[in-house]
Amino acid sequence: MNLKRIATKSIYFLDNLEGNLCKILLSFFVILLFVQVIMRTVFQNSLAWSEECSRFAFVWFAFLGASYAARLGAHNRVVFQFKFFPAIVGNSLQIFADLIWIVFNSIMTVKSIETIQGMIRYPFHSPAMDVPMHYVYMLFPITFTLMTIRIVQTNILKYVLKRELKDVDDISSEIEDIKHDMKIEPEEGRTV
Amino acid sequence: MISSVLFGAFGILLVIGAPITVALGMAAMTAFMSIGKDVTTMVQIAYNSVNSFPVMALPAFILSGALMQGSGISRRLVAIAETMAGNMAGGLATSTVIACMFFGAISGSGPATTAAVGMLMIPAMVKRGYDRGYASAVTASSGGLGIVIPPSIPMVIYGVTASESITKLFVAGVMPGILIASGIILMNYIISKKKGYKPQTSDWSFKKVLVTVKDGFWALMAPVVILGGIYSGFFTPTEAAIVSIFYTLFVGIFIYRELELKSIFKSLDSTTWLSGRVLIILFTAQAFGRLLVQYKIPDAIAAWLLAFTGNVYLIWALIIIFLILVGMFMETLATIMLVTPVLLPVMTSLGVDPIHFGVVLVMCCEIGFETPPLGENLFIASGIGKVSIEEISLKAIPFSIVEIASVFLVAYIPALTLWLPKLFGY
Repeated sequence: MNLKRIATKSIYFLDNLEGNLCKILLSFFVILLFVQVIMRTVFQNSLAWSEECSRFAFVWFAFLGASYAARLGAHNRVVFQFKFFPAIVGNSLQIFADLIWIVFNSIMTVKSIETIQGMIRYPFHSPAMDVPMHYVYMLFPITFTLMTIRIVQTNILKYVLKRELKDVDDISSEIEDIKHDMKIEPEEGRTV
Repeated sequence: MISSVLFGAFGILLVIGAPITVALGMAAMTAFMSIGKDVTTMVQIAYNSVNSFPVMALPAFILSGALMQGSGISRRLVAIAETMAGNMAGGLATSTVIACMFFGAISGSGPATTAAVGMLMIPAMVKRGYDRGYASAVTASSGGLGIVIPPSIPMVIYGVTASESITKLFVAGVMPGILIASGIILMNYIISKKKGYKPQTSDWSFKKVLVTVKDGFWALMAPVVILGGIYSGFFTPTEAAIVSIFYTLFVGIFIYRELELKSIFKSLDSTTWLSGRVLIILFTAQAFGRLLVQYKIPDAIAAWLLAFTGNVYLIWALIIIFLILVGMFMETLATIMLVTPVLLPVMTSLGVDPIHFGVVLVMCCEIGFETPPLGENLFIASGIGKVSIEEISLKAIPFSIVEIASVFLVAYIPALTLWLPKLFGY
C-alpha cells in the first residue's frame, strides 16, 4: 500500500517536474532582478554577477518552460483547416507532425552535445561569474530530450488512454476562476 | 532555391498541424542542411535568442498582469472607469472603452484586458438595458487596446525581433491607442443614440466618483509607476516590469489584502507555459529569419513588389490587408515573429521607419483579436456575456471598420507614431 502511494507521488512529481522547476527559476530571477534594481537606484551600486546569473536562470526557464508547454499541449498550431475533414485526418496528420517534432528535438540534442564537447575541449567561462559555459549549455540536451518525452506522453494520453487534454488557451472555461480571483460577486438573474 | 526550401517546408508543416515553432525550426534546419551548413549554428542561435536582458520583459509583464487580477488592482481600475459614465448616450459603453485604456496601461495583453474589463462591465451594461451581444462586442473590440497602449507584450516581442528600442515603441503606441479608443467611442455614441441606450443619471453622483477614486488610488498609481518609470528613463522596460510585479505584490498583500497564495501560484504557472511556448518560437523564428536575410530574400520580395507598384500607399494597403488576414488565423506573437524578418527589410527599403512599421503591425494583430476564426477576445466575451460568437462578431463589425480605418490613418500619417517619440527625445 505504502509502495503504491510512493509510486503515485513520484509520478505526480515527475509529471510536474518542469513546471515546478520553472516556477522556482522564475521566482528566483524576478527576485534577483528586483534586488539589482534596488541596488542600482537606491545604493548606486550595480552588481555585475546578478545580471548574468538572472540571465542564465532565464535561459533555463525558457527552454524548460517550452517542455512544460509541450506537456500541456499548449504550443500554438494552425488547426482550422482540419474542420473540413473527418477527425481521423487531423489526428493522424498531427501525430505525423509530432514525429517530425521529435526528429527536430533529436537533432538539436545531438548537435548541442557536440557543442558541449567542444566547450569542454576548449573551455570558456562566463565574464562575470566565471562559470564554465558548458554547464549552462547542458540545458539544451536536457530540455530537448524532456520535450520529446512530453510529446510521446501527451500523444499516449490523448490517443491510447483517450484522455481529453484541456485547452489551456480557452479562458472561457475559467471564467468562474477569474471571477473568484478578482473577487467579483456573481451576476444575478439569467443563468446561461 | 533556398527560399523554396524554407517556405515550402514551413508551409507544409503548418498545414499538417505542426506547432508553429516546429514549422519554423524544421524549415530552417532543412535549409541549413540543404546548403551543407553545420546545424550546430542552430544551438548558438537558440542560446543567443533568449540570452538577452530585454527579452526578460516578456515573462515579467505576463506575471505582473496575472498578479494584478488577484491583487484587486484590476477590479478597482475598472470600477473607476465605470463610475465615470456620464450623461452621454452610451455612457457605460464609453466607460468600458476607457476601462480598457486604463487596463492597457498596466497590462500588455488583449485577452487579459477583455477578461478583466468584461467581467465587470458586460453585466453592468446588460443591467442598464444594453443588448447582451452589443455589450460583449464593445468589450471584445476595445480589449485589443491592451496591446496598442503601452506597456505591450507584442511590442516587446517586435522590439526584440527587430532589434528596435522597446521604450521608443512604448512611446509611439500612445497616440494610435488614443486614436482607436476615440474611434470606438464615437462609433458607440452613434449606435447608442440610434438604439436609445440612455444613461440613467439617477445613480451618478460626484461623491460616488470620489469614493471609488480614493479606494482605487493605489490601483491608479500602477500605470504611473510602470509608464512613468519607463518614460522618464529611470527604468528599462524589463526593470519596470519587475518593479510592477513587486508593486502589485505589495499592494495586493499589504494594502488591499486580497492576494491569496493560490493566485500567486496560478500566476507563476500560467507565466511559465505562456513564456515557454513564445520564447521557443523566438529561437526558431530567428534561425528562419537569419537564413532569409543571408539569402537576401526580403530584397527579392521588395524588388517584386516594386516592379508591381512604386506607390508606397498602395504597398501599405497590400501589407495591411495581408497582416489582417494572417492575424485572423494565427496567434499574435507568432505572427509578429514570423512576418517581421520578412516584411521589415522590405518596408525599410521603401523608407519606412521600423518603429512606424512595428506600431502598424501590432495594430493589425489587434484587429485579429476580434475577428473569427481565431479571435481570442471574441471567445472570452462570448463566455462572459453568454452570447454566441457569431452574434458578437457581427455586432463588432462597425468597430472593426473603425479600427481598420485607424490602421490606415496611422500607416499613411507617420507623424501619428513618430511625433511623440521625437518630442520625448528618443
